[in-house]
Amino acid sequence: MPITGAYCVTMDKERCISWKMPWKCSTCVEVCPNSVFSVDEVGRAYVSNDLACVGCRICIEYCPNNVIHIRSAEPERFTRGIWTFQTIDEIHYKAQTGKYILRGYGAMGPLPHFDDLIIVPAQLHPPSPRDKYREDCKIEVTIGEGKVEEPLKLKIPIIFAAMSYGAISREAKMALALAAAKLGTAVSTGEGGSFPEEFYLAHGFKDEENFRNSRKNYEPGGYLIVQWASGRWGVSLDYLLRSDAIEIKIGQGAKPGMGGHLLGEKVTEEIAKIRGIPIGTDCLSPATHYDILNVEEDLKKQIKILRDVTDYKKPIIVKLGPGRVYKDVKIAAEAGADAIAIDGSQGGTGTSPERAIQDAGIPTIGLIRPAVKALQDLKLREEVKLIIMGGIRNGADVVKALALGADCVAVGSAALIAMGCRVCTQCLRGKCPYGITAQDLELRKRLQPEKAAEKLVNFMKAIVDEVKMLTMLSGHDDIRQLSREDLRALNINTAAITGVKLIGY
Amino acid sequence: MEYKIDAAGKDLRNLSSEIRKALQNGISKIIIENASQIHGIASGLKDGEIIINGDVGDYAATLNDGAFITINGSAGKYLADNMTKGLVIVNGDADYGCGVYCYGGEIVVKGNAGDFLGALNKGATIIVSGDVGDYVGIYMVGGEIIIIGSVGENIGDWFIRGTIFIGGEYESVGHNCKEVSIENEDIKKLRQYFNKFNINADPRRFRKLVPISARPFYGR
Repeated sequence: MPITGAYCVTMDKERCISWKMPWKCSTCVEVCPNSVFSVDEVGRAYVSNDLACVGCRICIEYCPNNVIHIRSAEPERFTRGIWTFQTIDEIHYKAQTGKYILRGYGAMGPLPHFDDLIIVPAQLHPPSPRDKYREDCKIEVTIGEGKVEEPLKLKIPIIFAAMSYGAISREAKMALALAAAKLGTAVSTGEGGSFPEEFYLAHGFKDEENFRNSRKNYEPGGYLIVQWASGRWGVSLDYLLRSDAIEIKIGQGAKPGMGGHLLGEKVTEEIAKIRGIPIGTDCLSPATHYDILNVEEDLKKQIKILRDVTDYKKPIIVKLGPGRVYKDVKIAAEAGADAIAIDGSQGGTGTSPERAIQDAGIPTIGLIRPAVKALQDLKLREEVKLIIMGGIRNGADVVKALALGADCVAVGSAALIAMGCRVCTQCLRGKCPYGITAQDLELRKRLQPEKAAEKLVNFMKAIVDEVKMLTMLSGHDDIRQLSREDLRALNINTAAITGVKLIGY
Repeated sequence: MEYKIDAAGKDLRNLSSEIRKALQNGISKIIIENASQIHGIASGLKDGEIIINGDVGDYAATLNDGAFITINGSAGKYLADNMTKGLVIVNGDADYGCGVYCYGGEIVVKGNAGDFLGALNKGATIIVSGDVGDYVGIYMVGGEIIIIGSVGENIGDWFIRGTIFIGGEYESVGHNCKEVSIENEDIKKLRQYFNKFNINADPRRFRKLVPISARPFYGR
């Protein structure tokens, strides 16, 4: 549910085309999926219901004369103490409907995050800084090396996080797959199954014919990780056989301890067919796997069987939500995972209850230390790779995660933003005006996979460049040399959480 | 052509490799003995007939995608997990989680079955000749479950599509599950299944359970 009246929408009528030439322009009315604008009887566009504005800013994006202004009603939040605008609205919504609030994206607000850490540049004390412009820096990561026949050899230490077809549109999925191919990295199907184009594009082929003839269209080609989640939507033997890695999803950062949510509004005919569910039903995955009921014993057996049916070729990743990290990682590693992915509470979602997002789960920087410790205690630190995700926004976040002990990171929310998302958090409604999380065909047409992929590639190249720069100014020429010694904490809490020295020490 | 495998002392990898190799070589019928220690036996097969004499471990016939598998003994947990096509017959009992996550195919258990039978079934037909435990068809989204004997508590808990037929008594229905009268079409269909799998039961005495709503959570 969007917060009613969270934004004030105004128009500069002096410059608005429709006010100068009635009936000549109604772009804002056409693009807004929330009916904030209307056209009056003489053909002039006006703000008819700014209470419905979710702050997506699509009207601004499309307005030919730049006459629309959206301001957040933020100042009101500071005038009533703990009874913020948002809190009052949440209570009113509950009182009126008897339901709790659902929204997209991860935990927001003042939680510990990578901003609480700073990277220590090298100066005189060895190592000395490396020249980013003239020297090279190794950033490749391999998952499953020495354990499976076909490990994932990632060209960059960043993969695209799991986002299901359903949660995001077919066009957004295609853009992610295409970007993964151009970057030489991996993309995960998420838990909603897959469609053929996703597979071809991720591997660098524009269609099935080129795939059959091994005519690659996009170099170097990437990898498709398929998810094996608690709802098992769209999962079959062929789905596993065509993958490059299998991700057993146990949990998710934005709703740890809960299964995936896809509301009926987004369950179209095609999504219903892929998932094997009725059209328009709420697709809620169970909180646990109904074939991993005796966790420690069953997870071990299941990993063995997944290896066996895929002929011991593909890495198996276990993806965890942010719970009791040390013990969870230990169980996953002992069960035989090649990599463990952990999603922090800042990790996004298409739909989750607001209180599960905000009030359950550990912020991302709190995950890495116990995860590393668990692997070290099992003497599996080198063998089992650690993938960290949840609110990774730039190269600095990546370097900080790697220095804390991650081998690789995943981006989800940032990738959606790179495609054009403005974080209105209303992904659940299926009306994304940018076509990223929409399932409505008209809205989906607004996202062109090729163009969106280009933005993703640009974004990723920029943050990879930042990773190289920050690694090298710390005195390293390989991301694997990064360590906690390359970081300092800006406050005592962060030092205690991460085990990183406080600034001044 | 028949091929016999003695699984004694073999692990899953060796056994699976032998099965696949035999199938690739055109052998259509494989008979396996002494496989009770192996979990995941006959998983991920697309064709062929596999006969396993004796009990099997957990996850037998997982991801079956077209093979006809007969187990002349009892099966462990999660039999035919995530099956999409094919037929699995157990001439014995099946432990809990039989037929979870199946998209299609048929499972016939000639004995009893444990809890969570057909959990999240999406399209398979699962038939049990004996009695079954609790939470049959939990979260089911399609397919059919037919139980000749009696059933425990919370049948069809939160299921949203599909049908459960019960020949004996049941303790309680779960959320979003209701009993409706059985129709002539249902009786005809049940009779066909019983004839096909040689089951002695009178379809007219069966009760039919269906979901109340296709959107029981946020559609309220």
